[in-house]
Amino acid sequence: MTRRAPIRKTAAIAGIGQTAYAKALEPTAWELAVEAVLAACADAGVDVADVDGMCRFTAPFETVSEAMLVRALGIRELSFFAQAPHGGEALGAVVAHAAAAVSAGLANVVVVYRALSQSKGGRFGRADRGAADRSADIVVPEQDNLSLAWPYGLMSPGQLFALWARRYAAVHGLTDEDLTRTLGTIAITQRQYANNNPAAMMRDRKLDWDTYRGARMISEPLRLFDLCLENDGACAFVITSAATARTLRADPVYVLSATQTLSPYREPMGIYTGGEMLELFPPAAADRLFGQAGVTRQDIDVAELYDATSYMTLRSLESYGFAADGAGWRYVLEQGTGPDSPLPVNTHGGHLSEAYLHGMNGILEAVRQLRGTASNQVSGAEIALVGAPAGSATILAR
Amino acid sequence: MAVVPGMTELTAPYWQAASEGRLVIQECQSCGRLTHPPLPACPRCHARDLGWREVSGTGTVYTYTVVRHPTHFAFADQIPYALALVELTEGPWLITGITGCDPTEVHAGMPVRATFRPVTDTVTLPYFEPAP
Repeated sequence: MTRRAPIRKTAAIAGIGQTAYAKALEPTAWELAVEAVLAACADAGVDVADVDGMCRFTAPFETVSEAMLVRALGIRELSFFAQAPHGGEALGAVVAHAAAAVSAGLANVVVVYRALSQSKGGRFGRADRGAADRSADIVVPEQDNLSLAWPYGLMSPGQLFALWARRYAAVHGLTDEDLTRTLGTIAITQRQYANNNPAAMMRDRKLDWDTYRGARMISEPLRLFDLCLENDGACAFVITSAATARTLRADPVYVLSATQTLSPYREPMGIYTGGEMLELFPPAAADRLFGQAGVTRQDIDVAELYDATSYMTLRSLESYGFAADGAGWRYVLEQGTGPDSPLPVNTHGGHLSEAYLHGMNGILEAVRQLRGTASNQVSGAEIALVGAPAGSATILAR
Repeated sequence: MAVVPGMTELTAPYWQAASEGRLVIQECQSCGRLTHPPLPACPRCHARDLGWREVSGTGTVYTYTVVRHPTHFAFADQIPYALALVELTEGPWLITGITGCDPTEVHAGMPVRATFRPVTDTVTLPYFEPAP
């Protein structure tokens, strides 16, 4: 079935903004959000008072509400605001909602933001955040099947993605050494990008093979450096109609497509897929993403792939169609994801080595690549993909 | 101190059976589909007439991980422990732990059978152990 391209080039990212990223920052998430939104509006050349739309991640992921920002920024009125669920799987959704809103005329200047204060609000890798009493039994409320997993000590994304990585190795016949070399190549390549990115938390920390292999196992087969950073920081960007964006700046970044997808148990960490758990989203969703953008895989110059773990970078290369199912690990070993590879990936360092901003920093990096202002600039980059492992994604173009 | 499941109308029969040393899976009384975790309607035929079937408790390890770094203090003294997704002989998948062997011996495709581990006076969790 042919579907029309609902967004293609009708909306654009006119401005981006971010705070510093660090393990612990003094400001609250609210203050960080204010700083990032103001920076994004300044970059776009719009008065923050003229913002009339906001898109964000749902709570508990996003703790800063639109109401808090409208109050703090003195915004006159929002005529459109929307929230997207599922953590990192909101990254394509917030773009889709914002682009749809400006295309439909529901709003003119939509801010998308993500603010994190894991130092104050609890680290995502710790399931016992907020637990005070260490002697009483802990009752896990039933929500999205967590009550069936937590009692066994399956509590963190890293553990869940270890199950996926093990399945990948079993299905595709990787030895432990094959898997280590593949995941290590991804982690070390991303660290090298971060070493050249002034904003990256790991800018000054080299990662070599001895350090990678010698790091402690967190949840086999994932080692310390296969897991993302935990940090404070905020990102924001401004989406307007393409026509408005062209009046604001010479180099708007157009939204070619942005997608959400949901099918049974394919929400992040749904796990009870019953089919093949490696298939994280229906292949039709990726085809829709490219089809609506009017581009092919070969047209993508740079990809920012959501990497809560190094395994997700690997699998996303396959699920978005840059490598065949099961061929991604050989692709990583033979071609790599570095600056001279066919498809540079996570050129900011990703969540493993720049900072963890739930995919939003990947969108900011794609914008910099398409403006030609990235630290690890891909020469002549015209089209970028930003994608999460369960199929929420966007394709952007200069 | 233990981490125990909060129960809902849908999940309580599963945990009640576990406390009696039985493994039960939700069964559609109309089309016979087995569904886990339990749902309010059969996702295949949409019938609301749902019951519970006691299953064999045998299966194989679909995938697994050995946790070596605790993410919750409640499990700090169990490190290392093996988590697994077990495919029951009857089809459904269960998230569980593997016991009765060294965690490093767990592997994909390993035949396992249910064993029941009381974690409090009232709560028992189905675990799995290597099948003989």
